[in-house]
Amino acid sequence: MAKEFVAEPDLQFTKDLVAAGATDLKKCYQCATCSVACRIAPDNNPYPRKEMIWGQWGLRDRLMNDPDVWLCHQCNDCSTQCPRGANPGDVLKAIRKMIVQENSRPAFLGKLVGEKSMFVLAIGLPIILVGLLLYISGWSFPEGPVTYSAHHLTPKKDGFIYTPALQIMFTGALAFAVISLIMSLKAYWKNLNDNNPMPAGRQPKAFVPSLVEALSEILPHSTFKECEANNIRYSSHLLAFWGMIGLAVTTAIVAFNVDILGILPPSLNGPGTVPIKILGNVSAVAFIIGLSIMLLRRLTVPDQAGGSSYFDWFFIYTILGTGVTGLLTELFRWVGLIDGTYIVYTIHLIFVMALLLYLPFSKFAHLGYRTVAIAWSKSVGRNLKTSIQPNYVPAASTESAAE
Amino acid sequence: MSQKTGVYIDTGYGIGDALDIEALSKVATKEFKAALCRADSYWTDPEKLAIIRNDIAEEGLTAVLIAGPSSRVYQKEFTFEGVITERVNLREHVVWCHPSNDEDTQMLAEDYMRMTLTKIQKYEDRPAFLDPKEKSILVIGGGYTGLTAALEAANAGYQVYLVEKENQLGGWATKFAKVFTGKPPYDQLVDSPINEKIQAVQANKNIKTFLGKRVYSISGAPGMFDVVIRPDGEWNEHLVKTQNEWLAAKKAKEGKGEEPEAAKTSEEEIAVPEVFVDEVDFEHDNVAVGAVILAAGWRPENPQKVEHLGYGKYADVITSVQLEELALSGKIKRPSDGKEVNSIAFLECIGDDIEHPWLYSSAVGSLVALKQAHYLRMTNPEGRAYIFYDNMRAPGQYEKFYRSMQDDPGVFLSKGIPVSVTNGSSTLSLEVRDTLLGEKLKVAVDLVVLSTGMIPATKDAAIVNLKYRQGPFLPENPYGFNDSHFICFPYETQRTGIYTAGCVRGPMDFLSCETDATGAALKAIQCAELVSQGKAVHPRAGDESFPQIFTQRCTQCKRCTEECPFGAYDEKPDGTPLPNPSRCRRCAICMGSCPERIISFRDHSVDMIGSMVKSIDVPDEYAEKPRVVCFICENDAFPAIDMAGINRLQYSSFVRFIPLRCLGNINMVWIADSLSKGIDGIMLIGCKYGDDYQCHFVKGSELAQYRMGKISETLQRLVLESERIRVHQLAIDEYDQIPKLIDDFMETLSGFDPNPYKGF
Repeated sequence: MAKEFVAEPDLQFTKDLVAAGATDLKKCYQCATCSVACRIAPDNNPYPRKEMIWGQWGLRDRLMNDPDVWLCHQCNDCSTQCPRGANPGDVLKAIRKMIVQENSRPAFLGKLVGEKSMFVLAIGLPIILVGLLLYISGWSFPEGPVTYSAHHLTPKKDGFIYTPALQIMFTGALAFAVISLIMSLKAYWKNLNDNNPMPAGRQPKAFVPSLVEALSEILPHSTFKECEANNIRYSSHLLAFWGMIGLAVTTAIVAFNVDILGILPPSLNGPGTVPIKILGNVSAVAFIIGLSIMLLRRLTVPDQAGGSSYFDWFFIYTILGTGVTGLLTELFRWVGLIDGTYIVYTIHLIFVMALLLYLPFSKFAHLGYRTVAIAWSKSVGRNLKTSIQPNYVPAASTESAAE
Repeated sequence: MSQKTGVYIDTGYGIGDALDIEALSKVATKEFKAALCRADSYWTDPEKLAIIRNDIAEEGLTAVLIAGPSSRVYQKEFTFEGVITERVNLREHVVWCHPSNDEDTQMLAEDYMRMTLTKIQKYEDRPAFLDPKEKSILVIGGGYTGLTAALEAANAGYQVYLVEKENQLGGWATKFAKVFTGKPPYDQLVDSPINEKIQAVQANKNIKTFLGKRVYSISGAPGMFDVVIRPDGEWNEHLVKTQNEWLAAKKAKEGKGEEPEAAKTSEEEIAVPEVFVDEVDFEHDNVAVGAVILAAGWRPENPQKVEHLGYGKYADVITSVQLEELALSGKIKRPSDGKEVNSIAFLECIGDDIEHPWLYSSAVGSLVALKQAHYLRMTNPEGRAYIFYDNMRAPGQYEKFYRSMQDDPGVFLSKGIPVSVTNGSSTLSLEVRDTLLGEKLKVAVDLVVLSTGMIPATKDAAIVNLKYRQGPFLPENPYGFNDSHFICFPYETQRTGIYTAGCVRGPMDFLSCETDATGAALKAIQCAELVSQGKAVHPRAGDESFPQIFTQRCTQCKRCTEECPFGAYDEKPDGTPLPNPSRCRRCAICMGSCPERIISFRDHSVDMIGSMVKSIDVPDEYAEKPRVVCFICENDAFPAIDMAGINRLQYSSFVRFIPLRCLGNINMVWIADSLSKGIDGIMLIGCKYGDDYQCHFVKGSELAQYRMGKISETLQRLVLESERIRVHQLAIDEYDQIPKLIDDFMETLSGFDPNPYKGF
């Protein structure tokens, strides 16, 4: 049976998209320079031209189920070459934000993180949680030099933070974030499958091999390298990415050693000489350098780096704040600024809480969505060199595979 | 008539180094007995110009010949009141494109000197034509364009007669909701300023308005038009019917392939009296005017061809003109049920297989759709306007309006061809294919608006109702609009003194109409002023010569009356042509058409050019120096040859150029003259012709080609090869092709024996 596409433009969606950072969306006149300029768009039905008109026409369903927006790495070759100043790079970014918000579980947290008007609430929540932790721990800095907090089982105060409370709170936040993100991604994966049916006679690849293929592309940042206008981001994102992984590994090992095996790191107050310390410090430095480059470029050369919305700033300041306060805590400890150490550490905890709690709702969620979308694209065989007719474009007036 | 000629040879620009100036001077003084000959460098120097002026006064020169740079430059410097001034182009046509100190180059320069001195001897003394004296202006049409034109002309101090067929002024402008501002930032609409314009016209003492009346007929010529204005009535219908029958008969006759040159004097002949079967007595006004502005406007094309889009079937499928009426009252309501409209689809293109798409995809169509989308968005914040176009055209500053509409989230733009309109539940369902969304899609809309084609009023009737030999109409181009040279002379028509403005000339919006009307008013004033001084209008503005006919020898062949691109000739009762010098553009096409060679200008005649050809020194057949005469169009080919000289392109020095006012001015006798003189080959270089013609005089180049097609007879009589004559079309910018054109021709000629008539 012939299925017809009835265009029902959603005026509000277009307005929301513009508000989300696609300021110049309506300027596009469909010349397709962007799709030609893009080095990483697939050969068939390349983005971002089609996304531009879908956005102009308020075709919400199309965009919310479009995996291509995540194939874009925001290198801004399109925006710098756009003859009309429509900034397709920014449009795709705004669409990504809306996809994150759309799939948020629970939904109100998506709003909390994404809306500028909710800023006070958004930072208030982690502050209150960390304040609660301080309250439980007794509101005071301990005497003497900074040491590992040992009072994890006894109520006697011999450290700054009451460790069980910290463990419960932060592990809980992480668990919440992970579960929420997984739920969101499952919903998104389902949307992709439901709205982009495979043509008859073709079977998608299974999830795990697709994911492996996607990760083999993500880990070395091989797609990033293709970009031209903003190619320095390849290095900076690579540094931040691997720095982040290094820090996560460090944290995991230390937590395992301390909390499960009860082994404290051998050296507390000196420059690390043991492997775990070296890993942690090197990762932290890489992490901060990478993020700082990105921040500076956003501040100084927005033409190349792309426009930055509140959604971007919120994430970049949160994650950079986490890294900087973490490293500062260590530095203050080394130089013996005891009160300073505790204050910066408290701020660090707030940042960490924000980062964990908002993982599925902030721009941080791109780590999940992008991986899933790339995996989905691999599973349906949509890649750069394919000559196969793309299958995710909804069938127009011709026969649909589903019927 | 004998002239006392002073010859001034410029030795600057390398001329003195390349030529034997003394020998050249001798041609003037010895062969042609010129009164004096001076050689010096750079005669444009004011001190040297003073020498020439002194010579004119002291020696009583009647003619001055400047041999130096091209006649296209230093025209102001070399203008001497009261004497004939001719130029020999020694610079661009001789020394810059031929080897220096070469025997052939010297012969070329000497031939040009002979030809030009001969030309001067052939000048005749005739006064300018000073009969036309009337300077008032007739404006036909009281719409936005007509009112503007009337005001502009009246404010410049000219008496204006404004004729409007309706009983009120204003035209379409009173029926439209809003118009563009024409002011930065160009993204707003304003109320039509028509009422101020009407009041200004009514208050202007220089404007006499005829309401409810039409032009019954226009006869005469610029500066002396006689206009009959008659109250609208049944007569008009009858007149239009007769006119169209006349036109159909004329087209049928031409379609049969009858030669345009050989008009028949049979019973069926199409003549003016058939169009105007005059009633003797009727109520009318008579006015005399100097020039006419036709601003008769347009009517919407009847969209009967678009049944597939539901026009006529659904009340909510309307034209853009109808939408203007709906929008006049503010909020747009549906014609079917009077409910407020929330979504409109504007269709700029009604299908890619519809005939005459040109009328649909004009810039006006795009602008109207954008403007009307704005109406909806201004009155309904939730309104959705879809615009499906074939080509979005927003010229000039309108780009800014387009951009502002594009920025509006409620305006959805896409290329697209509408397929069908069907009845949805409470709305219409429109199907569109080939959209920018890459697929066929459907939208549900309350209203479908079809872009309206703009048909010029002259499509239905002549309006100007000329009592001319060539008929009552203004000639039209393939698109049905008045034909004029679209690049160079957009305001001109092929009827001198009549200028079209506004939508009768091409689809336009109000702002363009205003500019257009101002331009036409200026042209009309220029025309009235120039003809009152006995001068030609564009493109030979200022030319005081005009054609004279030695009627006693006329054979009433009517070629001149038929071939004149401007309808300048009427006919006397005896069948001989009646010239109207102020209608004439001085192209001299009639001179070329006359087989009796009895049409001449005071500074341009069959005898003059023939004598120039005969003055060429043709070496005998043993000298191996062939001679070629090349007649060139002075508007395109002449500047192109100058450019070839400026670029120092080299070509054969056996060629002698003779510039003509228009290649259509070529007379067959010059070909015979050349061949019997012993000239080996003849080239004709004219401008491009066809639908996108470049001819200043519409069809001169085409006529030359046509006439040369018939030359083989002459050649056969002389026992000569037909390849000895070649006709070319050359655009002004194709100067780089000139050496090849000439060398190819010389190559062809080298295959033939020399012209056997040499030395006769």
